[in-house]
Amino acid sequence: MIDKIAEKLAMLLQGKITEKIDTGKIAGEHEQNLAKMLNQLINFMQEVHDFIIPLSKGELAEIKISPKNFFGSPFKELHSRLLHLTWQANQVANGDFSQRVDFMGDFSEAFNSMIVSLDNNEKLLKRKIDELEKALSHIKSLEGILPICSNCKKIRIEGTDPKQQDSWVQIESYISEKTEAQFSHSICPECIKKLYPDFKNGLSG
Amino acid sequence: MFNEERDYNKFAWEDLGDLVKGRPNLGLSVPVLVYRLLQYTFRDVMITELGVNKTNDIIIKAGRLAGRQFCENMLNRELDFNEFVSQLQRVLREQAIGILRIEKADLENMRFTLTVAEDVDCSGLPPTDEVVCQYDEGFIAGIMEAYTRKPFYAKEIDCWANGDRCCRFSLKLQRDTE
Repeated sequence: MIDKIAEKLAMLLQGKITEKIDTGKIAGEHEQNLAKMLNQLINFMQEVHDFIIPLSKGELAEIKISPKNFFGSPFKELHSRLLHLTWQANQVANGDFSQRVDFMGDFSEAFNSMIVSLDNNEKLLKRKIDELEKALSHIKSLEGILPICSNCKKIRIEGTDPKQQDSWVQIESYISEKTEAQFSHSICPECIKKLYPDFKNGLSG
Repeated sequence: MFNEERDYNKFAWEDLGDLVKGRPNLGLSVPVLVYRLLQYTFRDVMITELGVNKTNDIIIKAGRLAGRQFCENMLNRELDFNEFVSQLQRVLREQAIGILRIEKADLENMRFTLTVAEDVDCSGLPPTDEVVCQYDEGFIAGIMEAYTRKPFYAKEIDCWANGDRCCRFSLKLQRDTE
C-alpha cells in the first residue's frame, strides 16, 4: 500500500496527473484515510492542471475549481485579473479612458500611463480636427459667386431680395460676419489725392 | 426611528448623524475589526433567534437598503455606465470597502460578473463551501437598483483566498431569476 502511495506521489512530483487509488480495496482505517487524502490531492492537482493549461494559452473560459482547492487560489486570482484586464482593454478600445488598473505593481503603472497617453493623444487629435473643421467652414463660407454692386461694392446677402436695399451690406460687414477677420479702416494714396488733395504726403494706416 | 413599531423601512442618510461634528478627535474611521465584531455578533445572535434562512434574508435586505442609500448619497447616478463603474471603483476603494473589478458586462441583457477583493465583510476568512457575503450580495444589488431603477439580484458564485480573500459575484435583473 505504501509503495502504491509513494508511486502516485512520485508521479505528481513529476507533474503527471495519475489515476486515483481504489479505496474500496484497502484494508485498515489509517491506510484508507491516507489513500482518500492522496485521491483528494490528485483531484486538486487535476483541477489545477485542467484550469491552468487553457489559461496559459490565453483561454479565459469559465473553469471550475472547487473552493476548498487552495492550490487553485492564485490561479483563480490570475484568471479573475485577466478577465478584468480584458474588460478594461475593451473599455479603453471603446474610448473609455477613465479606466485605471489598481494594485498590480509595475503593470498598473505601465497600463495607466498608456491610458493617459492615449487620452491625451485623442484630445490633441480632436482639438486639431476641430481647428481644421473650423478653418474649413470659413473657407466654405466664402465659396461661390458673390453678388456685388458694381458701383458701391456692397454685397447682397444670399437668398435675399435684390430689390430691397437692406439685402445689400458693406463688404466689411459681410466678411466679418462670415470669417473671423476684422477691418481697420484706412485710406489709400489714390483716394487721398482724390478726396483730400490738400494732403500732399497722404496718410498711412 | 429606532423605537417605533412599523412595517416599512425608514432609514435616511441623515440618520447617520454629523460624523465630522460628532467625532472631532477620533475621526471618521473605525477599524475593520470593530465593523466585523458588530456584524458577526448580530449575525450570530440572529441565527439562534431566527434561524439561518431568516438571518440571511435580513442581511441581504439590509445590504440592499444600504446599497441603495450608498448609491443615492455617495455616487453620481447621472453618469453613463462606464463612468459610473469607474466612479464606483474609486469610491469603494476610497471608503476602504473593497477593490471592485468587473470581469464581464453584458449591458444589453444587464448581466455582470464582478469580483470584490479585500472586502470589508469577509477578507481574511478562509474559503469554504459556505456563502458568507450575503450583505455584499444585497449591497451590490442595491447599488445597481438605485442606478438603473430596476430590481437586481446578486449572488456570490465563487471565492478564493491567496492571503486576501476574493469573492466573485454574478449580477442580473431580478426578473431574469424568476
